Amino acid sequence: MQAWLIIAYGLLIVAGVALLVFAFRTGDRRYLYLAVLLFVVFPVVIVLKFPTEISPETQLLYDAVEKLPDSSNVLLTFDYYASTLAETEPMSRATLRHLFRKDCRVLTMTTIPLGGPSIAERVTREIAAEMGKVYGVDYVNLGYKANYVAVLKGMGSSIEAIYPTDNSGTPLAKLPMMSRIKNYADISFIIAIADNDIVSYWISIVRAQYGTPVGTGVTAVSAPQYYAYVGAGQLTGMLGGMKGAAEYEALVGHPDRATKGMTAQSLVHLFIIFSVVAGNVIFLIQKRRAGAGGQA
Amino acid sequence: MKTTVPVIIAFLAGLVMVLAFFFDPEKSFVGRLEPEVLRWVTIVGGFTLLLGVVSIIRVNYGGVHRRSSGWGYKLATVVSVFAMAIPAMLPTRMSPLFGNGPGSIYDWLFNNIDAPMMSTMFAMLAFYIASAAFRAFRARSPEATLLLVTAVLVMLWRVPMGEAMLKGIHHSLPEYINTYIMGGANLAVQRGIIIGAALGAAAMSLRIMLGIERTYMGN
Repeated sequence: MQAWLIIAYGLLIVAGVALLVFAFRTGDRRYLYLAVLLFVVFPVVIVLKFPTEISPETQLLYDAVEKLPDSSNVLLTFDYYASTLAETEPMSRATLRHLFRKDCRVLTMTTIPLGGPSIAERVTREIAAEMGKVYGVDYVNLGYKANYVAVLKGMGSSIEAIYPTDNSGTPLAKLPMMSRIKNYADISFIIAIADNDIVSYWISIVRAQYGTPVGTGVTAVSAPQYYAYVGAGQLTGMLGGMKGAAEYEALVGHPDRATKGMTAQSLVHLFIIFSVVAGNVIFLIQKRRAGAGGQA
Repeated sequence: MKTTVPVIIAFLAGLVMVLAFFFDPEKSFVGRLEPEVLRWVTIVGGFTLLLGVVSIIRVNYGGVHRRSSGWGYKLATVVSVFAMAIPAMLPTRMSPLFGNGPGSIYDWLFNNIDAPMMSTMFAMLAFYIASAAFRAFRARSPEATLLLVTAVLVMLWRVPMGEAMLKGIHHSLPEYINTYIMGGANLAVQRGIIIGAALGAAAMSLRIMLGIERTYMGN
């Protein structure tokens, strides 16, 4: 590591600790907010690269996609709101790159009415342009339909019955790719990228009732819930939070937004841990002093 | 009559969905009925969205009309609903700016106003969590200490710098955290919660189908 980088990050840590001390002394939490801001912005300006270890859950998802025969039909869902884009969008981008690299035909959809179709359009078109893929031939965006339970169940019988047109209003019959995809029986793998409980429905409705394997990418806060499904073999792999996305980017060999975000996330995590430890040390000292005062 | 008809509809719709699971979707009457019911559910779902839009306009327009407190925010809500909805509903043959495809007004408003605002709201959590961690996360009891130690270990494990630190202590420590905390204790507890919630959902569905649970009708 370069000496100036060590000095720069050393100064950052000193500033963070100083702000924590100010926060304690004055009781003003704005010092803490300033420290968090510093730890988020600083690594964006001065990048420090750290190697990312691949977790077994990420490896499982990558291997499942890797084992798919070339030109397989894959359903990729954009089941997340704009609020969690920092965590979930890198997952979509990395998986899309992997799928397109394997020449998979990608069908995208969303169960989120607020902006779900727009996110799917923007991300898919950007990666498709980068990989030279053509709309209607290599990928199709189905968009949104209300009532996700009925949508997930209905697509098992006929995708066209639920989505007569794609997101832009083009009838599915006019899209060459859709002539090969009628229902889940024609889909080899489903990757549900989500920030809510919809993944449970992909498992209980689609994986359990139609047998199509499902992998997922979820926010870090909801990842613990899905370990149970990965352990039971009901989920074929999982990306947990931005770290999961960074791991997948490393596997695909295309470091992108999640990899860049890892340093900021690392620093904020370490700062929060330091704050917890410092808070507890202060708590214990105060408790001991109060006890000593009571005895006197 | 006001409650009997909805209960009968709920019972029949639920019964079709339960029975269809056991019948051939192509060869049996019940199996063929299932996609029809699902199509109806999707259409009804669309109407519930419309109901939501009508409701939000009614409530907020009333506030603006009466100049109640925060009426400016209510006006912003009403204007935003129309600004997003009207261009999205107009046909694209009139202009490429209409509809909800790439390059449309709706798409621009979402990507440049809505998405950054939602991300900002969510990002604020980092500041509150840091503040709360410093002020409130205390090892006051053995249970709280266990929670605190587990949280610290998992937070370290979830970031590359923390992972490197854990490896410095013992090269297999990150792997142990994944195996014993996330894939062990966490998995066991989550499985219990999931099974419990599923049993609860099944019981609730049965209560709705049999008309015992009627709160969804406002009773």
